[in-house]
Amino acid sequence: MINFYQFIPEIFILALILLTLCFGLFNKDRSISINAAGFLILTLILINFGKDFYISTDISLNTINLYVLSKIILSIGSIVFILLSKRPLKNENLYRYEYILFILFAILGSFVLISSDNFLTAFIGLELQSLSLYLMAAFNTKNLKSNEAGIKYFSLGALSSGFLLFGISMIYYDTGSFYMQNLNNFTTISEIGLSLILISLFFKVSAAPFHIWTPDVYEGSPTISTLFFASLPKFASLIFLFRVYQELNISGIQSLNYIFQIVCAISLLVGVYGAITQKVIKRLLAFSSINHIGFMLLGIMSYQFMSEGALFFYLIIYLITTFGIFAVLLNLRTVEGEFTKISQLNGLRFTSNSKSISMLVFFFSLAGIPPFAGFFAKFFILSASITDGFFFLSIVAVLSSVIAAFYYLTIIKNMFFNKSEIELLDDNNKIGKVIFISFGLIITLFFFYPDPLINLVDNLFK
Amino acid sequence: MSFPILSLLILTPIIGALTLSLSSSSQLKNKTIFLSGLWITTGEFLLSLLLPIFYDKTKNGYQFTEYHTWFDKIDINYYVGVDGISIPLILLTTFLVPICLLCSLNSIQNRAKEFVIYFLLLESFIIGVFVSIDLVIFYVFFEAVLIPMFLIIGIWGGENRLYATFKFFLYTLAGSVLMLLAIIYIISKVKSGNIEFISVFTFDQQIELILFLCFFASFAVKVPMFPFHTWLPDAHVQAPTSGSVILAGVLLKLGAYGFIRLSLPFFEYASIYFQPMIFALSCVAIVYTSIVALRQLDMKKMIAYSSVAHMGFVTIGIFTLTQDGINGAYFQMISHGIVSAALFLIVGVVYERHHTRMISDYSGVTNVMPKYSFFFMIFMLSSVGLPGTSGFVGEFLVIMSTISVSVYLTFFTAIGVILGASYMLLLYKNVNFGDLRTDIKQLADLTNIEIFYFSCLAFLTMLLGVYPKLLFEMINKSISMSIL
Repeated sequence: MINFYQFIPEIFILALILLTLCFGLFNKDRSISINAAGFLILTLILINFGKDFYISTDISLNTINLYVLSKIILSIGSIVFILLSKRPLKNENLYRYEYILFILFAILGSFVLISSDNFLTAFIGLELQSLSLYLMAAFNTKNLKSNEAGIKYFSLGALSSGFLLFGISMIYYDTGSFYMQNLNNFTTISEIGLSLILISLFFKVSAAPFHIWTPDVYEGSPTISTLFFASLPKFASLIFLFRVYQELNISGIQSLNYIFQIVCAISLLVGVYGAITQKVIKRLLAFSSINHIGFMLLGIMSYQFMSEGALFFYLIIYLITTFGIFAVLLNLRTVEGEFTKISQLNGLRFTSNSKSISMLVFFFSLAGIPPFAGFFAKFFILSASITDGFFFLSIVAVLSSVIAAFYYLTIIKNMFFNKSEIELLDDNNKIGKVIFISFGLIITLFFFYPDPLINLVDNLFK
Repeated sequence: MSFPILSLLILTPIIGALTLSLSSSSQLKNKTIFLSGLWITTGEFLLSLLLPIFYDKTKNGYQFTEYHTWFDKIDINYYVGVDGISIPLILLTTFLVPICLLCSLNSIQNRAKEFVIYFLLLESFIIGVFVSIDLVIFYVFFEAVLIPMFLIIGIWGGENRLYATFKFFLYTLAGSVLMLLAIIYIISKVKSGNIEFISVFTFDQQIELILFLCFFASFAVKVPMFPFHTWLPDAHVQAPTSGSVILAGVLLKLGAYGFIRLSLPFFEYASIYFQPMIFALSCVAIVYTSIVALRQLDMKKMIAYSSVAHMGFVTIGIFTLTQDGINGAYFQMISHGIVSAALFLIVGVVYERHHTRMISDYSGVTNVMPKYSFFFMIFMLSSVGLPGTSGFVGEFLVIMSTISVSVYLTFFTAIGVILGASYMLLLYKNVNFGDLRTDIKQLADLTNIEIFYFSCLAFLTMLLGVYPKLLFEMINKSISMSIL
């Protein structure tokens, strides 16, 4: 018998979608506040009753914790994103109610993806998520680059979905089942099938060498969509990748394990070498995210130290930092339109205290310089990987983060040392300002008072 | 003592920086900002004077300890305390920071508020390094020092400052991340970051060698030792005077402090194993950089190279692994902290008036600036190692302790002293004596503020030179503990 309780979060989002479909057409502003409030309610529900939804199922306690924590993070992220999206969309004349629907569909897909233990369900979740993303990339229809981004993302994404389906069908051919838990004895065919599935997931999280779409799509899309690609769907895909790795016990399969390690090392290196020469900040962030994916893959592979705590902590800090950086970028505009080039950051120190200092905090945090939280994120990941004996990958990781420090420093150099060349318009978006200041404070004050964040990831995994 | 003096020492500058940053900058004059910074740092200095007063020299181990669980789930704790090795360095730091602010009173005109804030943050991070007994917070502070220093050189530096500050940051970071891996490995083995527990833990010999090299990479860049020293002349030349002062005075000591505090007690076997390598590198550093210093045209660069040579004495002294050697090395650290800081200030004085650091642009300065030449001479002689000044005691002890190791080592070290004398005397002669150049006739002599801080520094140099027991009393016991 199907236990419908476990679908409550998804049903809730579906209800929000229907509500937005009906009323959003008439009142866009209200639909934004309704959805933000809806996700707030969802967050509260998940925090208080999240675990009860799954209790009567036969899912293990650990996995339940994983579901609930990821869904809480996703819905908090959605609140922040929905609140943040209004002003930039208006600025770009993109303020149409479809956009918020795409967000909702993508979040629904992510929710389905996170808690699916069946490959077909996972495929549906992933597609629901991806299709919305393609549309968000091409949302600025008047802009050529945005169209290009959408088409590139769609065609490559379709290819990767093909890989995913092919892999699933190979596994079905071998085992006669779509369920992950039925996949115990690996024959060569299921190994090949699984590796195809992994390739598709690597594509979704933009791990190198499956990353080629990332810089172009990041650059071409409207900045607000870029923020979305960089944060929530990637988070969901990464959680699913983590579940595949753990539940199918990939660490026990030599060939797949090699694939994982090689992809991790290549991501770490491609990320930093690609980013060094970039002039456009969104391309730089694209490559830097590839480097961070390398760290996260390292965290997926090693879970003896804090179990999944290290990975989760890294993800949370990465999400906070990404949201913070994009909140600052979205708050800056040039005369020509959206803010694009790194050199346009020149002299930000003289025009805005709060923005430049928050950016300083975020970029030093991304570079992993203490006392910011990003250092501790890297510290936990490295502790985990060294405890598990991945010495070579750890050395690659730290050396890549030294090279990464170079381009983060370049951005800080532009803001703090150089004189400004062009006039930056201050968008004066109150919500954005609140978001980046509070996130900057979280990153800084973590050093003084780490307990809340640490307990959050730790309690849920005991 | 239950009074949390060490946390207070770390937090006072941070709180000061916060209050400064929250005040609206448009209304404050530069002078008010510097004055408030001076008040804070002077208070900090007075606070740190409590440490030697209440420190019990007869006891072993750390005192004034504070223990708070920090990440209770993972065994990483906020654990601070001081012993004889850290107290003099803390005093040196709190003593030099007000001087740095004093000397930039006139030279830093733009963005004064930021300048003071970065200096306050820098001070609290440096003190954090010296007081931490847990490896993780040691590393946190050790790395955090880079951020304000990066900004200080990058914003107020000379014309080539970007190159210098990037080189400084990336060199140091590259060394440090290897140490981070070693720290993580140690913590995963010992299950604790506490320095006292780790010192009694014995590693496999092969692994110990690798761990030692990881730590070495970080500290050797910081000291700096011979092949890793190239960032130092660039950073010094481009940094503003105050930046050079704090860089030469305290930041270079972080590396040597790390050797004494961490490398020696953790890796006894590896310290003996790598002794020849370190001696060789230090000898090269002493002789080679002294010769390089002889050929410099830029005063700051010459003093920067002389710093590398003097720190070579320190590393040799530390790795003789004898009580005398380490005592001497430590004394040399403190003495170099005072003297090289003073020499950079000396260069800063004429640079501020004449806007050039080239030696050839100066001649006969003593005719127009007699007081200046007087102080210059004291610090120059102390740097050379004249008996009666602090420079002598350290060099003498180090050279004496090298005899027990090898006579060749003594030979090279002694050559370093002679070379040191020759470049310093050359510098002094070229700048102060000779015909008075017409374009420096209008140079004004030292102001009262400058006389004040130079006499403080000169007094300390003399005091330590005449009565070195003051320092040895403090450090003897702790150092004998660390080489056991």
